[in-house]
Amino acid sequence: MLRFTLNGQTVETDLAPDTPLLWAVRDQFKLKGSKFGCGAGLCGACTMHVDGMAQKTCVLPLAAVAGKAVTTIEGLDPQGVGAALQAAWVAESVSQCGYCQSGQIMAAAALLEANPNPTEAELETAMAGNICRCGCYPRIKNAIQSAAATLAGGALFKDAMAEEVSA
Amino acid sequence: MSTLSRRSFLRHSALAGGGLLVAFTLPGCSTPPSLPVPRESGDFVPNAFLKFTADGAVHFYCPRDEMGQGVTTGLTTIVAEGLDMAPQRITVELAGAHPDYANPGMGFQVTGGSTSVKEHFTQLMTVGCQLRALFLAAAAQDLGVAESALTTDDGMIVHGENRYPYAQFLATAATLTVPETVDLKAAADYRWIGTAFPRLDGEVKATGKAVYGIDIDVPGMEHAVVVRPPVFGAKVVRFDDRAAKSVAGVRTVVEIATGVAVVAEHFWQAKKGAEALTVEWSASPLDGATTASLRADYAEALAAGGEEAESTGDVATALAGATKTVDLEFWAPFLAHAPMEPMSAVVHVKGDSAELWAGTQGPGPAGALVARHAGLEPAQVMVHQTYLGGGFGRRGTLTHVVEATQISKATGTPIKLLWTREDDLRGGLYRPASLMRIRAGLDDDGRIAAWDAARAGSNITPETIRNSLPALLPGMPDGVVDFMVGLTDRLHQGWVVDHSSIEGLYEDYAVPNLAVHHVTKEHGIPVTFWRSVGHSYTAFAKEVTMDALAEAAGQDPVAFRLAHLEHNPRLAAVVAKAQEAWNGWTPAPGRHLGFAAHHSFATSVAQVAEVSVEDGAIRVHRVFCAVDCGLAINPDIVRAQMEGAIMYGLTAALHGKLDFEGGAVKQSNFHDYPILRINEAPKVEVVIMESQEAPTGVGEPGLPPIAPAVANALYRATGKRLTELPLSDALRLA
Ligand code: FES
Ligand code: FES
Repeated sequence: MLRFTLNGQTVETDLAPDTPLLWAVRDQFKLKGSKFGCGAGLCGACTMHVDGMAQKTCVLPLAAVAGKAVTTIEGLDPQGVGAALQAAWVAESVSQCGYCQSGQIMAAAALLEANPNPTEAELETAMAGNICRCGCYPRIKNAIQSAAATLAGGALFKDAMAEEVSA
Repeated sequence: MSTLSRRSFLRHSALAGGGLLVAFTLPGCSTPPSLPVPRESGDFVPNAFLKFTADGAVHFYCPRDEMGQGVTTGLTTIVAEGLDMAPQRITVELAGAHPDYANPGMGFQVTGGSTSVKEHFTQLMTVGCQLRALFLAAAAQDLGVAESALTTDDGMIVHGENRYPYAQFLATAATLTVPETVDLKAAADYRWIGTAFPRLDGEVKATGKAVYGIDIDVPGMEHAVVVRPPVFGAKVVRFDDRAAKSVAGVRTVVEIATGVAVVAEHFWQAKKGAEALTVEWSASPLDGATTASLRADYAEALAAGGEEAESTGDVATALAGATKTVDLEFWAPFLAHAPMEPMSAVVHVKGDSAELWAGTQGPGPAGALVARHAGLEPAQVMVHQTYLGGGFGRRGTLTHVVEATQISKATGTPIKLLWTREDDLRGGLYRPASLMRIRAGLDDDGRIAAWDAARAGSNITPETIRNSLPALLPGMPDGVVDFMVGLTDRLHQGWVVDHSSIEGLYEDYAVPNLAVHHVTKEHGIPVTFWRSVGHSYTAFAKEVTMDALAEAAGQDPVAFRLAHLEHNPRLAAVVAKAQEAWNGWTPAPGRHLGFAAHHSFATSVAQVAEVSVEDGAIRVHRVFCAVDCGLAINPDIVRAQMEGAIMYGLTAALHGKLDFEGGAVKQSNFHDYPILRINEAPKVEVVIMESQEAPTGVGEPGLPPIAPAVANALYRATGKRLTELPLSDALRLA
């Protein structure tokens, strides 16, 4: 019996310890917001936070999260960084099919928690593990920057971006 | 103002419960199945599209499938405009299967071909306007005033200072007859159409609440993974499931038409079981095939010549007499769609009924397929449509729905079938590979005198027939389907040209002497529609050739194009718009510009790409895109579709290829089938041409110009005329 915290609640599972966290969360705990895209750590659709770090959970065995705190999109903080990102995602109409977006937002949330004002290069590095097949990348960038600005209580470096785009 | 008679496509009949039903006429179908619209007493359901409830809620049953293209927002906006009610007040539902939800341009319940807004605009505007008129009439009756004293404003009936919600008049409206004719709202009065506002599905998709096929969970459901042949065309000879059955959680193993299914309590167990399964496969004609051998077959076919698809003037004489000629051969490889959500479906076959939950590009055909393989009538199948985690043409083919049905029929349990990413890349279907040749000549004035184009490869039509006939004609026996597929196949071998194989290769520019040929070469590799279909490769050949011709003519490539577009004003206008960007754009040091334009799906697009090569790697920094799609219902969604098509097209242009080795597809996941990532994504600027013309497609037309625009920029950057996709490979080998 393996135990960990899922969105603040202690949960137990007797699934094989090599079962990836993603499948325990989806099939046993029935939280479907985290998605399957590749099963090989290559796309980020399955991104959750484990002890606050963004992790690709399709390749993270249950054994590795014993005793740890797992957060999924369903448990993303309804204030603060999570809310700011989600509001920005809606305002910028980031999502197309939307399938990758839970993973994108979880990765973005971990980024802004660690680095509230990332440069464009830092943003790209942090988000490069998350594929969006619909190609929402320009809007993902805009939304992260606008959420960062909101959280900082004003405009940050968005101006620099706008300048480049209008050239 | 235009007036439409609803008689052309509407009829009404009384409905039990004192309500009123407006159903769309179904030629040859006298008893339409009941609408898949759940209703409670007091609900007003005037037609298949709208439900009004007493608490003031309005539900719109969106007839087209949401795969990211924003169709739920777009079509809701149209009906909302007619109703005179903010789209945000309307709850969008994904419609189940019913003939009333057919795509008006196709007659079937299918989403694709960038047709949704184009085909539904008048229909849904009419429906909205009719309902608004009905509420006005009901309000006049209830309030005891003349209808002329009333107007509407955002879901309210307005009488002088007083405002009443539509919902107040539901009961009376339900007793009235929908007006025979209705004035459609004038474009000048649009409040929401033409305005950019956030997508209506933004919130469910930012919170993880949007439900896709993969998310469906029904009581008693089991998970299946199917082991399919490594080489297309091979069949199961025998299999050993002892090891698979000993995997914890595995419940059963069943052979189905396409392979062997392992069924387990959870997905992960099914996948482990599938890995433990040993299957012996029969030989296939494709055994041993490699990319090189397939391409050699195409080259041989192209050299032998093929069917004439188009001919004007005398291309041979014009080429012989040309001052300068260009002769280029182009290669475009097989590509997978790789939607972010791999194929998935949940099917439950019960005794005399079945249910399907999936996100497909054809809920109607999907239900019919379940019926066929479950041995039921289509009316016995309930279809639950979900969001699609990407489509791009892939979710129009429903092999996975058939597989899930066959498994559920065998187990009697609800089955969730999920393809892995490896299944997705190796299990088909693909954008067909194409070998193309264009010979073109200039006259003394530097104008194109001759355009001689040819393409060799396989056609998507036979496979489309194979996949769609069983769904569209439920009564047709399998043998007849096979016959039809074989017939189509043979017809394309020397009789007729599959237009989707050559579309876009020659149409855009004025050419006095034209010849287009096609040679069919089939290898049994399943192919289908892939975002922008034939245009995805023909535009590359056509637009690279145009740059080569412009160079030969000593002309600016954009001016050269414009000189050949006098007959084609919409394309000319977007080229001229992009020319402004082109002329005013000084690329940063080390960067170069490339241009391309293309008309597809009734929409014209021109693009400029700013490109550099850094340590041998191609980097696309910025793309300008001008588009004429007629009236833009929501300009921000048009922009998003251009951005997305550019990214999707860049993945193909820079990285995309599937190789064959020993008859099997070599690539298996995103490590060797790389998708463009955020650090490679260019900045995109989109200009939408001002237009009041009827709206046209936006899902696909943004894609075709990007590969040639990048290739043309690379020529300026490197002096190498790259004619093979993907460009990263071509540049390395050049
Ligand atoms: S599903 Fe986990 S990284 Fe792709
Ligand atoms: S929105 Fe479709 S994959 Fe990202």
